[in-house]
Amino acid sequence: MTAADRALAVRRESLARRLAGSSSAVWRMDGVLLVAVAALCVIGTLLVWSSTRTWAPGATGLVKKHVLNVAIGAALCSTAAMVDHRWLRAYAPVVYLVTMLGLILVITPVGSTVNGSHSWILLGGGFAVQPSEFAKVGLVLLPAMLMAQPAEGTDRPRGLDVFFVLVATGIAVGLVMLQPDLGTAMVLGVIAAGAMMIAGVRKRWIAVLALLVAAGGVAVWFLDLLEPYQVARFTAFLRPSTDPRGVGYNSTQALNAIGSGEVFGKGLFGGGQTTGRFVPEQHTDFIFTVVGEEFGFVGSVTVVTLLSVVLLRGVRIAWQCEDRFGSLVAGTIVCWLAFQTFVNIGMTVGIMPITGLPLPFVSYGGTATFANLVAIGLLQAIHIRERQH
Amino acid sequence: MGRPPRPPRPPRQRPPAKPPTVLRLGNPRRRLHIGLIAMTFVLSILAGRLVQLQGLDSKVYEAHAAEQRVQPERLPARRGAITDVSGHELAVTVEAREVSVDPALISAEKRTEVAATLARELGSPPAQIVAKLARTNTRYQLIAKDVDPVVAEAVLKHDFRGVSTKPQYRRVYPGNDLAGSLVGFVGFEGRGLAGLEGVYDKMLAGQDGEQSIEIGSKGQRIPMTRDTSRAPVPGRDVRLTIDRDIQWAAQQAIASQVKATGARSGSVIIMDVQNAQILGMANAPELDLNNWEKTPGEDRGNRAVAEVFEPGSTNKVITAAAALEAGTVRPETVFQVKDNIQCADRVLRDSHPHPPERLTFAGVVATSSNVGTIMAAEKVGDQKLYEKLRAFGFGAKPGAGLPGEEAGLLPDWKTWSGSQSCTVAYGQGVSVTALQMASVYQTIANGGVRVTPQIIAGISGEQGKKIVPSKPGKQTRVVSERTADEIAGMLEAAVGEDGTGNLASIPGYRVAGKTGTAMRYDEKCQGYCGYTATFVGFTPADKPRLIALAVLQDPKKGHYGGQIAAPVFKDVMMFALKSRKIPPTGTTPPPVRIRAGG
Repeated sequence: MTAADRALAVRRESLARRLAGSSSAVWRMDGVLLVAVAALCVIGTLLVWSSTRTWAPGATGLVKKHVLNVAIGAALCSTAAMVDHRWLRAYAPVVYLVTMLGLILVITPVGSTVNGSHSWILLGGGFAVQPSEFAKVGLVLLPAMLMAQPAEGTDRPRGLDVFFVLVATGIAVGLVMLQPDLGTAMVLGVIAAGAMMIAGVRKRWIAVLALLVAAGGVAVWFLDLLEPYQVARFTAFLRPSTDPRGVGYNSTQALNAIGSGEVFGKGLFGGGQTTGRFVPEQHTDFIFTVVGEEFGFVGSVTVVTLLSVVLLRGVRIAWQCEDRFGSLVAGTIVCWLAFQTFVNIGMTVGIMPITGLPLPFVSYGGTATFANLVAIGLLQAIHIRERQH
Repeated sequence: MGRPPRPPRPPRQRPPAKPPTVLRLGNPRRRLHIGLIAMTFVLSILAGRLVQLQGLDSKVYEAHAAEQRVQPERLPARRGAITDVSGHELAVTVEAREVSVDPALISAEKRTEVAATLARELGSPPAQIVAKLARTNTRYQLIAKDVDPVVAEAVLKHDFRGVSTKPQYRRVYPGNDLAGSLVGFVGFEGRGLAGLEGVYDKMLAGQDGEQSIEIGSKGQRIPMTRDTSRAPVPGRDVRLTIDRDIQWAAQQAIASQVKATGARSGSVIIMDVQNAQILGMANAPELDLNNWEKTPGEDRGNRAVAEVFEPGSTNKVITAAAALEAGTVRPETVFQVKDNIQCADRVLRDSHPHPPERLTFAGVVATSSNVGTIMAAEKVGDQKLYEKLRAFGFGAKPGAGLPGEEAGLLPDWKTWSGSQSCTVAYGQGVSVTALQMASVYQTIANGGVRVTPQIIAGISGEQGKKIVPSKPGKQTRVVSERTADEIAGMLEAAVGEDGTGNLASIPGYRVAGKTGTAMRYDEKCQGYCGYTATFVGFTPADKPRLIALAVLQDPKKGHYGGQIAAPVFKDVMMFALKSRKIPPTGTTPPPVRIRAGG
């Protein structure tokens, strides 16, 4: 009996148990991806703890909530990993429609404004959801479904499918812009664009689309459709020193905190800038400043490396997937997470304008954590099913 | 439990109806490839930026961060005390508090209540506090300084937001003007400005500590585990040789005599003969240290060491010592003394006209005859007289380490004018300070050995409060013991019934001393106006223990040293003898022949 035969026998013997339980699928998950995400969640929890610990009474409230969020996210992740992505393909339109419904709910009186952004549905008991985060998941699945079947005799999606993708994206982006949430709208655009690129939409179509978006951007700028703070953020990015107390304050303080970390950092809870809460939103969008100050260059590079590992494993899963839908979903998720990672760290280290995007798996924020972990669940699902051939 | 063996990958079966795999998947894979390259590019930019932020430029950012967060706080060191010889405090630092408010933290409705409470606790006018609390655009308003810690604690008990206290130190002088000009004072910044406070400032001040506190973005204090404080090193205590009681008696005596005679000023020095320790150094008018800023500048200094005057007849002991040492004169050598003498271009006179008389040399000193002294000095010669003056410490600072010590004026003998060589012999044309003159008599009383005067008895060590005694003053033999004894005999005669200093005699004790009445050089009248009256002597004459000197500048009622300075000497010496429990020797003075054949 060869080793392969023995293995085959083991597989046959345990067939029933394998079908009954989920433990077998666990073993076929991408272990590296799992470990990297888990590590990011643990680091994120420490950073949330450090950055919220000195808040006046009940200082541990937020970190406890964060742990709960991660736990719920882990459960969602496992559930998503169990789902057969081919089944998901059938239900993609439903998922899309449900998430759009969520976005519509936000702009009805059910929605609430938190921190100047009308993106929330309060659930009571201090819990709230941000439907725009789930919209990302919806917009990952629908274009992948639409473009999974290439035109006859080519490897490019059909024109009508691309048109539907544009319509679906337009609806999602439009609803998010009504909140308004420029950052999420950009992520949605990137998701759709990434899906089209990977699906093989002709370059000249993409070029035309890019031109249209650019023209739209210019129009928005000149028609004064942007909120003043958004304009100010852009000007502050270009000339941070003009207004260090005002809009440039965030950026200046972020750099001070990160630079203070030097090579090895001040140690957990040892960062004066973090403890003194100089960087606004240091537990959410600017959480990278905390790792920068308290864990230094070593810590920053570790976080960047872990995120890179997540992205590379995503690319690998997309690459290895024989199924076009699975490959598109995986690739699009990578685009989403990559964009958020780069824009978030980029703004924190002062090489990109400030847009309110959280750092995946690390920032505080329930819905974002759920959405990100669901995305990882989908990647694992694709990985698992691909192995089952 | 390990990972189950990976199942062998089944051979790929492509449905024949679909286009070839290469065509179907090639495109997404190629584009994923491009995406991978783009990601690597962005990642390397981020990494590069992190290298710049946290490696190359980190010091700049850290400095910016520290600048807005870290506030250094000075921890003042407690200044050492200045005490008298038995540890009584002459200058001492007590703890006080500074009460301040942060008006921004006090809400408008609480303002009246806070102001009323502060006014009641601190005993200051409420209107002033209300005005300070209204300055809500400031973060700091000083409400009161030098607050008693007990009162400050009471203020803190009210637990008002925005009201805080800070420890500080306050210098107080329990004796007010006791040894005022000697001790000196500190300025408002806590630095010693005058007197011993000034000279020993570094030692007394100690070293301030430092503590870094970190303030967050909302003005909250950041709790830090790191210890960034440096404890202050307390200042050292300085113990003087001054005896508080003798000092007080000396001040009373000189102050009342300055008042009684209408003198411009006066000084008293009391010294121990053996070790030259200064037991009392009083000036009138004396400086009230708790009110120094109200005292005119000219009265802030220590006149006993800083005021230079022509000594007059007290200087005759040096001429006598020079003559005796030269062997040209003996105490019983007889001089034919007229009441005037021609000296170069001038005729110099005794203080009172008298018919020519035959005086022994002892008699010349005892009756303080200028003419007789000049006759003795002529036998000595200018150079020898000059050398003896130097040996007794003229023209040099006495070396007690007292602030403002002056060296006096002793011109080189070669530059003396014709009459100057005569006048120097009886203490005109040469200037000294009171301490220099006291030191001359210390030398005589100590059997001819000069000891450098001492004011510091000891200084506490760097660790702990134990006083480390000063090294004894330097000893120098100036004249032989025999000369010293002979002069002591003459000085005892000077206090006797025939002498000029009879008012200095103390019943039961043998007193040796010399009067001095000098013409006083006054800058205001560009010449000699008024007098300097002096008496200096020691007791007991046969076994000297204490020296005392009293000097009055420009007295208006009376001007002879024997008349107005001798009683001050007597008062102070009597008190000092009692205070130090020095018994009379019980001996009788040997007879001294003053007049020959008289």
